[in-house]
Amino acid sequence: MVDWGIPIGAGIAFGLGALGTGIAQSKIGSAGAGTIAERPETFGLMVILVAIPETLVILGFVVAAMIMIMLV
Amino acid sequence: MLQKMKKVQVLGPKKDLQSVVDVLYHSGTVQLEDISKTIRHGDTLLRKMDIEKGGDIANTLVKIGGIFLSLPKINYNTKKQEQIYDELQQLSHHDLLARANHVIEELESTTKDLAVKKNDLEFSLGAMDRYEKIIKKIQPLESQLPILEGFEVTVILIQREYREVLDFIKNTLVEITKKQFEMISADIDETTIAAVIVFNKRYTDGVHSLIFSQNVNEVRLPHEFLGKPFNEILQMISVKRMKSIDEMAAIDENLVNLATEWYQELAVLKKVLEDRNAEVGVFGKFGQTEYTFVILGWIPKKYLESTKKALKDAFGNRVFVNELEVSPENMDEAPTFYDNPAIVKPFEFLLQMVNAPKYREVDPSPLLALFFPFFFGLMVGDIAYGIIILVFALIIKKKYKMELWLQHLMNILIISSIPSIFFGFVFGEFFGNFGEMMGWIHPMTIAGVTWNRVEAIVPMLILAIAIGVFHIFLGLSLGILNAITKKSKKHVMEKAGMIIVITGLILVIGGAAKIVPDILLQIGVVLVVIAVPLIIYGGGFFGVFEIISTVGNILSYARIMAIGMASVILALVANKLGGMTDVAVLGFFIAALLHIMNLVLAIFSPFLHSFRLHVVEFNSKFFEGGGKMYKPFRSEKEDETVK
Repeated sequence: MVDWGIPIGAGIAFGLGALGTGIAQSKIGSAGAGTIAERPETFGLMVILVAIPETLVILGFVVAAMIMIMLV
Repeated sequence: MLQKMKKVQVLGPKKDLQSVVDVLYHSGTVQLEDISKTIRHGDTLLRKMDIEKGGDIANTLVKIGGIFLSLPKINYNTKKQEQIYDELQQLSHHDLLARANHVIEELESTTKDLAVKKNDLEFSLGAMDRYEKIIKKIQPLESQLPILEGFEVTVILIQREYREVLDFIKNTLVEITKKQFEMISADIDETTIAAVIVFNKRYTDGVHSLIFSQNVNEVRLPHEFLGKPFNEILQMISVKRMKSIDEMAAIDENLVNLATEWYQELAVLKKVLEDRNAEVGVFGKFGQTEYTFVILGWIPKKYLESTKKALKDAFGNRVFVNELEVSPENMDEAPTFYDNPAIVKPFEFLLQMVNAPKYREVDPSPLLALFFPFFFGLMVGDIAYGIIILVFALIIKKKYKMELWLQHLMNILIISSIPSIFFGFVFGEFFGNFGEMMGWIHPMTIAGVTWNRVEAIVPMLILAIAIGVFHIFLGLSLGILNAITKKSKKHVMEKAGMIIVITGLILVIGGAAKIVPDILLQIGVVLVVIAVPLIIYGGGFFGVFEIISTVGNILSYARIMAIGMASVILALVANKLGGMTDVAVLGFFIAALLHIMNLVLAIFSPFLHSFRLHVVEFNSKFFEGGGKMYKPFRSEKEDETVK
């Protein structure tokens, strides 16, 4: 009997992290694109700002990997 | 390495100002400051320098530049140019302008006339080509045209999709000319139809206004071609074309003769005028008394003596360089000049894209140069990917030599590809597990752990977090160093408190997880209790929340493991899918496609995240930024070569 709870849990951990990152990046990205249009010299900073919420999905991925490995 | 900056005042008699500015411009070491900010209101002795009439130089420069461009390029005669340069450099503004004006008088009208004439001939040649093309196309219709006295012939061009306009024109012509016309049409190419209309001259106005009102392209032949048979017109075109080509060749020869005589002088004159124009442009930053000028600026200590010597050689004791005392706080205004070794330069560039460091701060670029390739290598960790990145960067670097930013980025990739290959050996990865499948390579076993990234997830995570702890502690230590330089006791306490509290928390977690002895757990608790008041003293009550943020920063280093693992899993998928098909070529194609995609991600993602770990996690512990970089007063071309 396959225990579906573990992969579903891992999926939720990763999926919600990805969703959170996506929502945050969409807002930062559009604002950043506007900023770069006005002041192109801020490009470097904007790239970093867009990358900031990626922490969420990365930690989600780590948690998902831990669930899969430690609980299976 | 941060270069010490000195604030200097250059003083001298006003009559030497132009020459002094010229010496400073060519030594290219001083960053000029606007002295008007330091002149106190009501100061009767020192006042702002009147801006020189730069307009004359700028206008002359434009004219000389125009003549220079209109002449054909010939080889630079370096020796002759040097000779002219030395000669022109000696001239005062007035004499230089007189010489330039003489050159303009000699050349401007001649080159202008020749250029206009050549332009006209080129235009006429283009028109001849157009007429020839159309006439050749409609020539077969000639035999169908009636030859009548008092009749006019016109040709119109219509796009095929508007073919119905022809019918409309035909019907209207019946009314306008009372049937005294003939219209024949034929396709001249895939998109265009030509129609020849012959009509009684009495109806000229009516016919032309009809054609105009229909927005149809009417081919208006030159006057001399009118009424001639097409064959004759073609012959005339051919003769005219030959004549134009001969005339153009004569003009070119004339221009080459002029260039042979004047090109070297024009090139040097242009350069000297550009320099003088730049020099005049900064006069507004200087100060003056009745007989002297005052120039204020920053100069790196290592260039101070050579600059002083250049001025002394040129002016003896007439011009004086005064080193000003600057308080440590005011040194924040000093421009930042890091004379880093070539290997650190690309990282310096990367950092400046986000924020330039202040003068009194520790320069993060050498640390970025050390840790960035390390993090990048840990994330990519594949021999084949590393080699491809290296080759890719070398090709791009060679191909786009003039793009400075691209050169810097490719240098970063080249440096970072080395650790990628190294960690590829450690993790036993060559296109993911392909090398291992082929038996070429195996993951290394170090400290009892086989560093296969898919299986050793927990050790990789611990390694990533450990790197994070070390990196953050390093950042906090640099923060303490910066705070000591600025004599900010509170910041020293806050940063030190943070190091202690994080150490305490690690011991507590280690003790609770039974990884370290119980006694260390108690020590950990004591450390936290000691450190929290230090943080509150340094950063206020809200400083305590910084602990959570710092722990978050450390956990953020988990991305080193996560991105690496995501990359290796994608490589595994590529190999697996490639191996599943029965057709070897198809399998290879699928695997190659996925590996290329993974490689693009492997360049972009680790690059961005290594950089981000520095800018967001590491630099925030000590780096304030907002400084201005050292921009000496010199020609922009020189600036680019120095970089």
